[in-house]
Amino acid sequence: MSEVAIVGVGCVGFQPILPELSYKELMYEAAVKAYEDAGVDPRKDVDVFITCAEDYLEGFSIFDEFVPDQLGAVLRPLFTVSGDGLLGLANAYMLIKTGHFDTVVLEAHSKASDLLTLMDVIAFALDPVLNRPLGGHPYYVAGMEMNRYLHDTCATVEQCAQVVVKNRKNACGNPYAAYGANMTLDQVLCSDMYFYPLKKLEISTPADGCVVMVLASEKVAEKLTDKPVWVKGVGWCTETPNLETKDWSKSVDTRLAAEMAYKTAKIHNPRKEVDLAEVNDLFAYKELQHMEALKLCACGEAGKLTEEGVTARNGELPVNPSGGLLGMGYGLEASGMEKLLEVVLQLRSEAGRRQIRDAEIGLAHAWRGIPTTTGIVAVLSNNK
Amino acid sequence: MSLDKITNPLHIRHWLGDMEADYIYTLGIAGEHFFKEIKENGRIMGAKCPRCNVVIVPPRMYCEKCFAKLEEWVDVGTKGTIHTFTVATIDVDGKKLKEPVIFALVKFERGCGGLIHKIGETKTKEVKIGMNVEAVFKPSFERKASINDIKYFKPTE
Repeated sequence: MSEVAIVGVGCVGFQPILPELSYKELMYEAAVKAYEDAGVDPRKDVDVFITCAEDYLEGFSIFDEFVPDQLGAVLRPLFTVSGDGLLGLANAYMLIKTGHFDTVVLEAHSKASDLLTLMDVIAFALDPVLNRPLGGHPYYVAGMEMNRYLHDTCATVEQCAQVVVKNRKNACGNPYAAYGANMTLDQVLCSDMYFYPLKKLEISTPADGCVVMVLASEKVAEKLTDKPVWVKGVGWCTETPNLETKDWSKSVDTRLAAEMAYKTAKIHNPRKEVDLAEVNDLFAYKELQHMEALKLCACGEAGKLTEEGVTARNGELPVNPSGGLLGMGYGLEASGMEKLLEVVLQLRSEAGRRQIRDAEIGLAHAWRGIPTTTGIVAVLSNNK
Repeated sequence: MSLDKITNPLHIRHWLGDMEADYIYTLGIAGEHFFKEIKENGRIMGAKCPRCNVVIVPPRMYCEKCFAKLEEWVDVGTKGTIHTFTVATIDVDGKKLKEPVIFALVKFERGCGGLIHKIGETKTKEVKIGMNVEAVFKPSFERKASINDIKYFKPTE
């Protein structure tokens, strides 16, 4: 079976709002960059196009019908994954692995600023009979989860706040990040308590942006580029949609997704083998919980490692050198692509002042947000 | 380049639209049992899985662990403990609430799962994980077979 490589990336944004571009123009601009980077002509060289989008977030019914033209995909094989961009990566990976397709384009975007009532849409994801009639801002679910996570692991509120300080600082060095900032632990700790113990500054802010990538089989990749980034393994898993029966302490879906990806990638000791991890941090505590689920450390250890600077950009195990979602902005279904973009740039040694020296293996992780229990993991390497 | 950046999406040229859609959400067989018992008898029901030997709350027609069909409905009582909670201070539009709302997952001794609900008759500072609580029902003539037939859970003595 052929190996699978990422051979081109294009990104527009991320910014708090991209007022000048429609969602189609946003996709078009990112696609042009990705095709230029890969050296492919979408009208001739691409076998399949994959977009990742959720109707309600777009404001369309059957949104997948609205994507071919801006990608150069009219009259070409195309489908939409109703999920995070990393789930699209899993599909692209499988297509190429079949041996029937050599070149696949992957796209995900966020035009969050077009959606005037994002939290209402997220509230619509709660069970309509059991949960929704209670009302309330849907992020109360995150407050409940953080509370139980802290209770069970003895992680501290200061350690969670440190995640915000670290990620927003990292974002200062990332031109694709919307929310870079130099802030103090006290600023985070003193920000409004929205959903005890979750504070305002521990919640990622939505941003507009788009990421397009070109994937290719080994045969095509080696013709196109001398810097292919190999997809060594992917894994995905969903726990349960029921808030009543889900695990409130651990991210069990991420744990199983990671085990699936590590198995294919032949990763036996993630803490030692992974050089950088881009981990979902939609809420600050999630970075810690996800690190533990990804076996980057023991349960209850992530907070301490963060406090000690181990996960800082220049630490022994850099986590979210991009700035994460706290620093780059919450890109809805493109959230996983923000992670993937950073891993690709790092493994190509193109991450500028964020560059982690000698990075060879990177991990990208996505979680679909409140109230979901879907985790997706990809392991990438610049060595075949 | 303008010095004044646009930050409000409503200040750019746009077309304002919405996606209106109305639904009924069928309760189904398990939901029917659950809400009928709440409305008529003030009881909270679960469904027993004979294979896993657990009672799942709220009841379902199938077990999510072993996929067995569930047909035995069990009363789990109205008293439980707080598995986790939060205190929400903003509403869905991001506006500060006049009174904070406590949301919690209440687990029952006899069941796996539980109910997401509000906690009442207590101060926000006094709520704790592991606290014993009991359901406070609306008077029977006000009940509509809704999760809101339970007003909230309150601490037990």
